[in-house]
Amino acid sequence: MSLRRRFADREDLLGIAMLAPVLLLVGVPVVLAIVLSFSTATAGSLSFGWAGFANYAAILTDPIFRRALANTVIVTIGSQLLVVVLATAAAQVFRAAFHGKRTARFVLLLPWAVPVSLAAIAWTWIFDSTFSVINWTLKVTGLLHGWLYWLGEPRLALVAITIVQAWRIFPFATVIVLAGLASLPQDVMEAAIVDGAGFWRRLFYVELPLLLPVVAVAVLFGVVYTATDLGVVYILTGGGPANTTHVLPTLAFQRGIQGADLGQGAAIAVFLLPFLIVVAIAMLRLARHTEVGST
Amino acid sequence: MKRVALYAAALGFMAFAGFPFYWMLITAFKQNRDLYVGAFDTRHVPWIFNDPPTLEHVRLLFGQTDFLRWIANTLIVVVAVVVITVAVAVPAGYSLARLTGRWGERLGMGIFFTYLIPPTLLFIPFARLVALLGLQNSLGALILIYPTITIPFCTWLVMGFLRSVPWDIEEQAMIDGYSRLAVIVKVVPRLIIPGILTVVVFSFTLVLQEFVYALTFISSVDRMTVSLGVPIALVRGDVYHWGALMAAALFTSIPLAIVYNLFIDRFIQGFTLGAVKG
Amino acid sequence: MAKRKGMDRRQFVTTTGAAAAAAVLGPTIWVKQQQKTLKIIQWSHFVPAYDAWFDKYAKDWGTAKGVDVTVDHISLADLTTRANAEVAAQQGHDLFQFLSPPGAFEPQVLDMADVVKEAERQHGPLVDLCKRSTYNPVTRKWFGFTDNYVPDPGDYLKSIWTEIGKPDGPATWEDLVTAGPQIKAKHPEIQIPIGIGMAQELDTNMATRAMLWSHDGSIQDANENVVLKSDHALEALNFAKRLYEAGMNAAVLSWNAASNNQALNARQTSYILNSISAYRTAQDNKLPVADDIFFVPALKGPRGTGWASEHVMGIYAIWKFAQSPDVAKQFLLDLVAHYRDAVTASKFYNFPSYPGSVADPGTAQGQKPAAGQRWLEQATANDPFGSNPPTKLKPISTALQWATNIGHPGPANPAESEVFDTFVLPTMFANAATGRMTPAQALDDAHQQVKRIFEKWRAKGLVAGGAGDRA
Repeated sequence: MSLRRRFADREDLLGIAMLAPVLLLVGVPVVLAIVLSFSTATAGSLSFGWAGFANYAAILTDPIFRRALANTVIVTIGSQLLVVVLATAAAQVFRAAFHGKRTARFVLLLPWAVPVSLAAIAWTWIFDSTFSVINWTLKVTGLLHGWLYWLGEPRLALVAITIVQAWRIFPFATVIVLAGLASLPQDVMEAAIVDGAGFWRRLFYVELPLLLPVVAVAVLFGVVYTATDLGVVYILTGGGPANTTHVLPTLAFQRGIQGADLGQGAAIAVFLLPFLIVVAIAMLRLARHTEVGST
Repeated sequence: MKRVALYAAALGFMAFAGFPFYWMLITAFKQNRDLYVGAFDTRHVPWIFNDPPTLEHVRLLFGQTDFLRWIANTLIVVVAVVVITVAVAVPAGYSLARLTGRWGERLGMGIFFTYLIPPTLLFIPFARLVALLGLQNSLGALILIYPTITIPFCTWLVMGFLRSVPWDIEEQAMIDGYSRLAVIVKVVPRLIIPGILTVVVFSFTLVLQEFVYALTFISSVDRMTVSLGVPIALVRGDVYHWGALMAAALFTSIPLAIVYNLFIDRFIQGFTLGAVKG
Repeated sequence: MAKRKGMDRRQFVTTTGAAAAAAVLGPTIWVKQQQKTLKIIQWSHFVPAYDAWFDKYAKDWGTAKGVDVTVDHISLADLTTRANAEVAAQQGHDLFQFLSPPGAFEPQVLDMADVVKEAERQHGPLVDLCKRSTYNPVTRKWFGFTDNYVPDPGDYLKSIWTEIGKPDGPATWEDLVTAGPQIKAKHPEIQIPIGIGMAQELDTNMATRAMLWSHDGSIQDANENVVLKSDHALEALNFAKRLYEAGMNAAVLSWNAASNNQALNARQTSYILNSISAYRTAQDNKLPVADDIFFVPALKGPRGTGWASEHVMGIYAIWKFAQSPDVAKQFLLDLVAHYRDAVTASKFYNFPSYPGSVADPGTAQGQKPAAGQRWLEQATANDPFGSNPPTKLKPISTALQWATNIGHPGPANPAESEVFDTFVLPTMFANAATGRMTPAQALDDAHQQVKRIFEKWRAKGLVAGGAGDRA
């Protein structure tokens, strides 16, 4: 009797003891960021004054901010759609056995392994208006008449950013989908084959629905990585041309650090939170409720 | 027919994932006059060596920068951070999965959400903290701060993974007389080795990619990590040393991709169970 | 019984251990406090040879003075981030080098009045544009000490310009508009005849200012009133639109600081506004184009006004929380005294902020500035670094006649710095040139932004003016 109570007590204590470091390390900075967004703090000084909702009011009426918000949504959704398509397709390819699979898998993993900043630097050359190897290849194969100013035209620049984001995330997503495929209940798959369903039918009516939770998780990570990413956009376009390709993290950096208005920068960054929380909850619900036959 | 389609598709994916690396490879060994030619000029082929390849960029990277030092620093930081992450995230994940009940689930999600604040602003309050602790310009600062990036996600991962591991083994251990703490320490790690491996690989990636905190806390060149030192040394003012930059990119990513390739199967196993049930 | 002994033993071991540690560490701690240190941070100079010279100079200086000197290098783009971190931490380097006026950090740095006075006493006056970049007339504070500035001449390809009848390159901004179509006609393989960037980066910031000032417009007047919205500015924007259509294309909207260098070196453009870095890179890489690159001073506008901003300016600040401010100040004075070596080590990228500091040793005090200027002219007229012909760099030596500071005609105050760091002018010019907005709209939009920024800094008491702001 007393033994069990001791266990119970210790459980609570243990629980708190084990959670405390995590909460501290992680909770404090977040609270700090939110507090900053309500302040008039500037970078380069230690001053701190209360601004109420002034920062939020300022950014909501700023067309550049609204554009950055839109861009963040466009790039995140666009790149993740691309990632889903690429990853599910690639997973189909890589679950099969073929010669050189190990090598192919190695190449596939490279975009995930390379430091983002160095990869982004490489991509600036690949998309460069003067030196772009993509343009050269398209021109030589006759597919391009004229020229593509990848990073110089706002819409093309967004496309370029989306491509790079999809490129660096889809290897990781492929691995996740591969995992999902491996864990699919074999009996359902066999039943489908026995029922005479062809490859495409099986893919769309049996596999994909079963894979939904796994794909949802992959998408969730992709969304987080893309929406909070500063490096790719900063290195590729710096938010330009003329502030048309900013995403929230880069705008926060430009306003908060380069422009020294820390309060406003914090407000812009914090704005991401509700958007991401909504997406995260949606994805996690999706992942949990669509499991087939689990306890 | 299907076989052909399969190989074609595999090649397609390899091409998409790999062509920038092919470009990095030839640029690392190209002479500068072979590189600085406008793509407008279609007679010059950028995908091959038009002049004989050169080792000067590699020599620049290894001889005139602290590249090897940076790799050593990065390894030290990564190993330390991984150890800390596992040490904190595993108990925290266990606690959330087993001990704290209903609200533990919500807390778990909450922890994941804190992952969503970008470091591009947090570096300022953290700079103060690091200075107060006297860790300015030391790898210790990174070892302290990087876990704030790795722990939230890994905790969530472990929590999810544990949910899919049955209770029974731990219950049995407790009935056999182990205290709760002993169960955690002795039995659980063995149950979730794949999960831990996933945590390791993930932390590795996150730490390697990180730039802003490294920039904030490290000033001396000989203490920098790879992702910080390379751009600093090789992007000077308005001159990019493309050859050396690309060589650095390759020498960092190729070994890592090899390692990932080796562990991918375990990784897959660890990830699915953890993430989906989470 | 046994337990007690165990604890005793443990206690004994711990206390002895602690004592031993104290004994060993004690003297080192004491010694450390006695040793003077100096920590410097500055950018990775684009000329690696300069960093090699500077690092050695600093070490030798430290050895001679009994000071432990460390020099850290960082990329140009990362300086602000690091500065912010050091301020937040209230801990960092003693000497922090900025490459543009660090107006926002003024409250965090020491007043350098004493160092400036001493340097002027030794070498003669500080160049005007440097004074306006490091002195705040509102707070009467010298917030930085500058050792060098870098002129921003035009670089052009002689062969191309000779073909269109201008072997000495362009002299006015209008020349660029005329030349654009001519070059396009003769050389369709040149992608961007006139390489003026329109992107959110350093070179564009400089080029747009040069265009604005040469058309007699400016962001503020000498008394720090916001006067951006003016007929002259509109004229400059209309000019930019014509220039864009005559000789540029969307490529320049995506440029970064390295792009114009790279385009010139790949012969994909025929004129850029840049420091001599592009040229020195071409020389270092033994590119054949190096022999074809020549220089012109700032281009003149319609009324003969010709201004270009300094490309970058080395400004050393000392944090209020620096540990060795006196050592730092001494270092600066000694550095300036050796400035001829610095200029040469940088291959003439660095120009001295105190012209007298590069005069021949032994020159009389009053003669120093003139003597220094003479040396610059001689040295650039006979480039020791392999220019072909050796007189190639001569046009740069007239820099003092056409180089000016950010904030021209007024001082480089924190508001101007923020306008600079948030790329207001490049955005305005890009919007007008590409037709995204009409020039009038772009101007008005930028003017309102600038006013908001100025208002913010006036509220902090760091910027003057206000009564004379245009509406």
